[in-house]
Amino acid sequence: MSMSLSVTGLEVRSPRGRVLLSLPSFEVSGGALVGIRGPSGAGKSTLLYALAGLLERVSGSVRWGDTELLALGAGRRTAFRAANVGMIFQDFLLFEELDAPGNAGVTALFRPRAERAALRARAEAQLARLGLGDAQRSVASFSGGERQRVAIARAMAAQAPVLLADEPTASLDRAAADRLIDDLVTLARETGTTLIAVSHDLHLIERMDRVLTISDGALTEERSVTA
Amino acid sequence: MSDLWYSLPSLLQDVLKLALLLLPGLLVGAIALRGYAPWPLTRAILTRFRWSAVMFVALIAISVGMGIGLLAQERGLRRGTAQAADKFDLVVAAPGSELSVLFAAVYLQPSDMALLSGEVYDEIARNEKVAVAAPLAFGDSYGTSPLVGTTEAFARHLSDDKIEGRMWAEHHEAIAGAFVPLGIGDSFEPAHGIGEAAEDHAHEGEGLTVVGRMAPTGTSWDNALLVPVESVWEVHGLANGHAPEREEQIGPPFDPDYFPGTPAIVVHAEELWANYALRSEFTRDSETMAFFPGTVLANLYRVMGDVRQAMSVMALVTQVLVAASVLLGLFILSRLFRRQVALLRALGAPSRFVFAVVWSFGAVLLLAGAGLGLLTGLGTAALLSQVVTARTGILVTAPLGWAEIHFLAGFVSVTLILSLLPAALVLRQPVVDGLRA
Repeated sequence: MSMSLSVTGLEVRSPRGRVLLSLPSFEVSGGALVGIRGPSGAGKSTLLYALAGLLERVSGSVRWGDTELLALGAGRRTAFRAANVGMIFQDFLLFEELDAPGNAGVTALFRPRAERAALRARAEAQLARLGLGDAQRSVASFSGGERQRVAIARAMAAQAPVLLADEPTASLDRAAADRLIDDLVTLARETGTTLIAVSHDLHLIERMDRVLTISDGALTEERSVTA
Repeated sequence: MSDLWYSLPSLLQDVLKLALLLLPGLLVGAIALRGYAPWPLTRAILTRFRWSAVMFVALIAISVGMGIGLLAQERGLRRGTAQAADKFDLVVAAPGSELSVLFAAVYLQPSDMALLSGEVYDEIARNEKVAVAAPLAFGDSYGTSPLVGTTEAFARHLSDDKIEGRMWAEHHEAIAGAFVPLGIGDSFEPAHGIGEAAEDHAHEGEGLTVVGRMAPTGTSWDNALLVPVESVWEVHGLANGHAPEREEQIGPPFDPDYFPGTPAIVVHAEELWANYALRSEFTRDSETMAFFPGTVLANLYRVMGDVRQAMSVMALVTQVLVAASVLLGLFILSRLFRRQVALLRALGAPSRFVFAVVWSFGAVLLLAGAGLGLLTGLGTAALLSQVVTARTGILVTAPLGWAEIHFLAGFVSVTLILSLLPAALVLRQPVVDGLRA
């Protein structure tokens, strides 16, 4: 369950035509953990959204495995994302009125009926693994760390080979952030998930296999942490 | 085709009409929701924005309630006024406005009317086809209750002989309508005139005593005090309908020489055909007019029917405006949860699922508003009916009818279809803008 990424000539423009991001090329092997860092406004989140196929006015090539994402129409791009891409956001983006299993299994609601029970079961298993097995209450009462773990469970329950995380620890205190990093990295490695995480958090960046640094909308540095 | 339709029982027609009205909305719902289970998210969004949702439901309920209340109330009034005229088979009066006589005789609304002579009354009363010929005398009141002079036979006919206590036996005895706030044995002094212009002490020393109470008749007469017609004539200083040697007599026969005149005579015949014969007999140019109150009401309803059609068009326009407001409101509400929508799309939810969530959110609000509007409308109509009944004595009830059900079904169907638009517009919003909202 891993998926490689090949990006070539990626260019993202604003509605007025200004270039927001321009990356000549980079590749991520399947199952790799990649950190993306850079100053605020450099285009890190834009890159993440472009890799998820969420942006318009994107040119170039974003190839996930054998699939050229930018060549897909909106519907097929959505279907590709549902099957292959899990997402984690800085401010969690949960449905506050649902409980932890409801949030972790929310994607079951739009899956084919036959897959729903299995996905919910996986969501509950992920929650249990992340220490939230008995949290049957509204996530509105959860701490930031608990909420982000619910978001991880949501992403992992879908068994997506790719996990895109946008500042996953930015809203957490240090202790909660460290625990989350442990959980995220462990789960990704165990499942062979390709993890691309945008973050300012050095604790997270240090745990990644590779680090891309983006500045002024362009890839200005690439280095391997472990190298 | 229309022949087939009209050959169906009316209940089946109403049920089919309801089904046809609901069908578009149900079809839209079935198509929008097919294969998905959006309800947990719909519930979550409703809970999250509960106060906005409550406001929206309340606005829909008020607009729907007004429509339903008006429909039910209008029908209730029509039925109530028609039923109130049931006991008035035929009314004979001096030529003039049938409507004025109808309002005065049946609904006891004060009106200036020419009087019929004793000879005319005598001729009617002596007609072998006539079972009851009751002269009426108006002009006095007690509190908000008009005092009506009439005959024992008519009082018994009006109340189906359901009179608690006893019938009057003296000139100064009265029978109270069911809603008159006087008990048997109570005495009162009538005022001259009715309403604000009434002179309270004009009939000092002319006290009357209530000796009986009529069961509710569902007519304006439930608010009235009935007295022997002789009593009304006497307190106004007129002859009392009988020669001096028989001045203590109560009720017919009246002596034409001592008959002061009556604005209307209510006639009841045992046979239906006889009423038609009597109407022809007593419809005489420049002398008398005879009419069926039911016919006058039917004509009135026909005229009002045109007004109703105009009102229906206005109501339709209003509902279109309401529907447009609903549409705008739904779009504004959907902006509240654009992050949730963007999240679903980022997680790979198909457009139709997101569409189903947004549409079902609107549908729940619309259905809740429509349901609450139905209750509001019926409650308002019931309240208004009570007020009208209390003020006029006419028994007005406004139960739920097919017209209201059809109105509601049409509104629900149209708005369910219209709420597709905000759902579609939500899908056009950029996902990333929503995520960053």
